[in-house]
Amino acid sequence: MSVAAPAIPYKIPKRRHPVLLFIVQQPLGAAGLAFIVLMAVCAIFAPWVAPYDPLAVDYGAMLAAPSAEHWLGTDSFGRDVLSRIIYGARTALAVGFLASLLGSTIGAVIGVVSAYFGGKTDLIVQRIMDVLLSFPIIILAITVVAVLGKNLVIGIDVNLVIAIGLPMVPKVARVVRSSALAIRELPYIDAARTAGFSHRRIIFRHMVPNVVAPYLIMVTAFVAQAILAEASLSFLGLGVTEPTASWGLMLSGAAADFYQQAPWMIVFPGIAISLAVFAFNLFGDSLRDWLDPKIKL
Amino acid sequence: MLRYLLNRILLMIPTLIGVAVLVFFLLRLAPGDPVQMMMEGANVPQEVIQAERARLGLDQPLHIQFVKWFGALLRGDFGVSLWTGRPVLHEIGIRLELSLQVAIMATILAVIIAVPLGTLSAIFKDTWIDHVVRIISIAGLAVPSFWLGMIIILLLLTYFSWIPPLTFTPFFQDPLKNLSQLIWPALAVGYRYSAVAMRMMRSSVLEVLQEDYVRTARAKGVYERLVVARHAMRNALLPVVTVVGLEFAFLIGGLVVTEQVFNLNGIGKLFVQAVSRGDYTLIQGLVLLVAVFFVGVNLAIDMLYAALDPRIRYR
Repeated sequence: MSVAAPAIPYKIPKRRHPVLLFIVQQPLGAAGLAFIVLMAVCAIFAPWVAPYDPLAVDYGAMLAAPSAEHWLGTDSFGRDVLSRIIYGARTALAVGFLASLLGSTIGAVIGVVSAYFGGKTDLIVQRIMDVLLSFPIIILAITVVAVLGKNLVIGIDVNLVIAIGLPMVPKVARVVRSSALAIRELPYIDAARTAGFSHRRIIFRHMVPNVVAPYLIMVTAFVAQAILAEASLSFLGLGVTEPTASWGLMLSGAAADFYQQAPWMIVFPGIAISLAVFAFNLFGDSLRDWLDPKIKL
Repeated sequence: MLRYLLNRILLMIPTLIGVAVLVFFLLRLAPGDPVQMMMEGANVPQEVIQAERARLGLDQPLHIQFVKWFGALLRGDFGVSLWTGRPVLHEIGIRLELSLQVAIMATILAVIIAVPLGTLSAIFKDTWIDHVVRIISIAGLAVPSFWLGMIIILLLLTYFSWIPPLTFTPFFQDPLKNLSQLIWPALAVGYRYSAVAMRMMRSSVLEVLQEDYVRTARAKGVYERLVVARHAMRNALLPVVTVVGLEFAFLIGGLVVTEQVFNLNGIGKLFVQAVSRGDYTLIQGLVLLVAVFFVGVNLAIDMLYAALDPRIRYR
């Protein structure tokens, strides 16, 4: 007598969308991402979100305390602090993203190229990176800003972006190089070489796609640092200048003269910086855990 | 060990030469001329400006300027500040004590805060203690140190009517006054620092607690407190040492901005001044100093590592 084998219930695992998967597996990181998106939306649609013009001077309402009209108060020119913070998000995000993208991309290319060619090229590139690494970020950024001066292109100071992005190059290059070194030894690279592909093709088609994970992790991590650097430089009067709204700039100059009279001028822009950096750190850490926990920044 | 040390020191030389070359030529790329910047506003005839440039050697070709500067550097002569005319080393020297003291105090504060809190957080993993400590440390990474400094001043001003003093009291003149002055900037820059160390301490203790020798210690009935203090903490400190050393570089960066907030006339403020005045020789001197310091600290950490952990041998 034969017994029919019981059908084993088997569900084919559903392939879920990676973004959905990230949200389920890394709720904290997703919260960070949500905040970043919210910030970006506010920044992009600033003219509709902000209650006032960030540059509108109102001498009738100088140093006004937070109220129903001015939620976060006004500064010494009667400008609305909330509106300036919302417009400041534009500066912070634009400079932060661009600097991080620029620095990480150049760093990643240098890292891969250095690892691929190895030998003398690698040695020389690594010594140059060592030189750049022996400066603290802010020292190098200040020097570059001083050298390049200002260069506004569609409202963004390109030279500021370069100054903040440059110190990231050696750090990214180092991490990406170590990932690329492992990839270089894999059989498919040998295969590609045997097939007679050009260096450029092997680097960009075979190696670069495989270091995307560390690259993405570095980009997000460095946005946070770039935002901090922009705030510091603007605070020192070396970054964004008046009348453009920038969080660091809001803390410098007049704000310090009105410590007691108008503490909201100091408190809120700092909270904005902290929250932005916090959100990027949260997202960056989760992204690292999710993509490749072994990467050390 | 000694050979390794010598090797490392030799390797530092090309890096530092690279720093010198980079900073020298980078500054020369800048548009504008320091003499012109100095005389700005005043109606100075062109001949005077030319004479001043000749006096400072700025009229010579770049490579000759570099060779002269670098040659003097090798003899320990950093040149004179273009702005004040005093030797660069003198300008740095009179401000070094202040910055160094804040840096050291910040390091001590960071370690005092980070080691016990990080350990507690690891022992009480996933309890409210752990959550509180982790929130403190996550916040520390996000809060800019200069803003924290401003908030500290705001609080002190509101509750104690304290304002940052205009003059700096050296430690040996009046230790108490000096400490009460510098504790706040040290706290402002030290918080971020302690946050990084705290994270490291936590993960490091968690890792060590999994080790066989901890289980052995527990099995033979050692008090839990002693297990943590003698077996876990001592071994967990190693990676924290590295982090503390590496963060020293950030500390200098943090000082550049925080010194402005607290009105401290230290290295950071000098650097910002030098940059805004286009004082080439002073910027070069400061950047080299920072680089030497940074490279030196890195070497010192590696050496300390070997001293703390006998398993590590350098060849």
